[in-house]
Amino acid sequence: MDDRNKENLRELFEKFFDAERAESCVEDIQKAEQILHKHPAPEPDDMLIANIKAEIAMRLQVSRAHRLRRIIYEVVGAAAVILFVAAVSLQLFEKDPPSGIVNYASIIPTAIWESDDIAVDDEELAVFTVQIEQIEDEVLALQSGEDTGNGDSTLTELEMELIEINSDFWKG
Amino acid sequence: MIENNDLARIITGCKGGDDKCFAQIIDMYASRCYGYFCRLTGNNDISDELLSELFVKLVEKIGSYKGGSFESWLFKIASNIFHDHLRSKQRRKKLLESQVAEFESGTTEQKKSDGELTDKLQIQLGRLDEGTRELIMLRFYSQLSFKEIAQMRSEPIGTTLAKTHRALNKLREYMEG
Repeated sequence: MDDRNKENLRELFEKFFDAERAESCVEDIQKAEQILHKHPAPEPDDMLIANIKAEIAMRLQVSRAHRLRRIIYEVVGAAAVILFVAAVSLQLFEKDPPSGIVNYASIIPTAIWESDDIAVDDEELAVFTVQIEQIEDEVLALQSGEDTGNGDSTLTELEMELIEINSDFWKG
Repeated sequence: MIENNDLARIITGCKGGDDKCFAQIIDMYASRCYGYFCRLTGNNDISDELLSELFVKLVEKIGSYKGGSFESWLFKIASNIFHDHLRSKQRRKKLLESQVAEFESGTTEQKKSDGELTDKLQIQLGRLDEGTRELIMLRFYSQLSFKEIAQMRSEPIGTTLAKTHRALNKLREYMEG
C-alpha cells in the first residue's frame, strides 16, 4: 500500500493551514499510518476466497441460463404473435363473401325485401307470376306457329310487355 | 500495481459476465476489503461473511459502475454493507437485551465470541467511536485520496482532512500511551 494515492498532502493542508501547521499535520498522518502498517489486519483465508469465486461462478452460470431462457421465451412469444396475426389476416382475406349470394339478394326488389305487408307482396307476386305465364304461353304459341296475327307486331308487343313487367318489378 | 487499462479491461469482462475477470477482481481487492471489515468489526467470522456479501453484491451491481474510481465505488459498497451489518447487529442486540433482562443472571463476565480480534491495534481502535474508526479504515484500506473520501462522504474536503487528522492523532495517542 506504499504507492497509495499520489495526492500532495502538504499542498492540500496548506490550503487550510499555514505552512508550519500543514507540515505538522502531514507528519501526524504519516506517523499514524506507520502504526497501521505495523499492525496489519489478518488476511482472508484461501478457502474463503475459493468459496467466493465458486459462488460467483455459479451465480453467473445461473444468470446466463436465465438470460438464455428469457431470450428463448421472447423469440417464441414474438413468433407466436406473428403466427397469430398471419392466421387472423388470412382468415379475414378468405372471408370475402361469395359473389353468388350477393347476386341472389339483389334479384329481390328492395320494396318487397323491406316490406312488412305480406298480403300486398303476395298479391303483386301473383300478378307477376300470371303475367310471366301469359308471356310464356305467347312465346310457345309463336314458336308453334299458332299465332294468327302479324308476327312482327306480336314480337314487339311481347317485348313491350317484358319491359313493362321488368320496370314494374324493379319499382316494387 | 495494476495498470488502469488492465483494470478497465477486467471490469469490461466482469460486465460481460466473465467469471475469470471477477476472480481477478477478488484477487486484487480481497485483502484490502477484508482488512477494512476486520478492523471495523473486530471479528474474522463476521468479516468472512461481509467479504462474501461484498463480492456477491459486486456481481449484481457491476452493470451500474459507470467509470471513475473503481476503488471508490467498491468501498462505497463495502461501507454500505458494513452499515447494514451494524443496523442488523443493533436489532439483534436489542432483542438479546430484552431476553437477557428476563433471565437476569448474577454474572457480568462476557465470553469472547469466536473469531474476535484481540491485537493491540484492534483494542485501541475499539476505544474510538464508530465514525472515527471508519474514517481511518477507509483512508487506509481503500487508498482513496482525501478528495475522493470527501466526495464519498458528501462533505467538504477540509472537514474530511480535519476529521482524519484528529482521528489518527487520537489513535496514535492511544497506541503510544
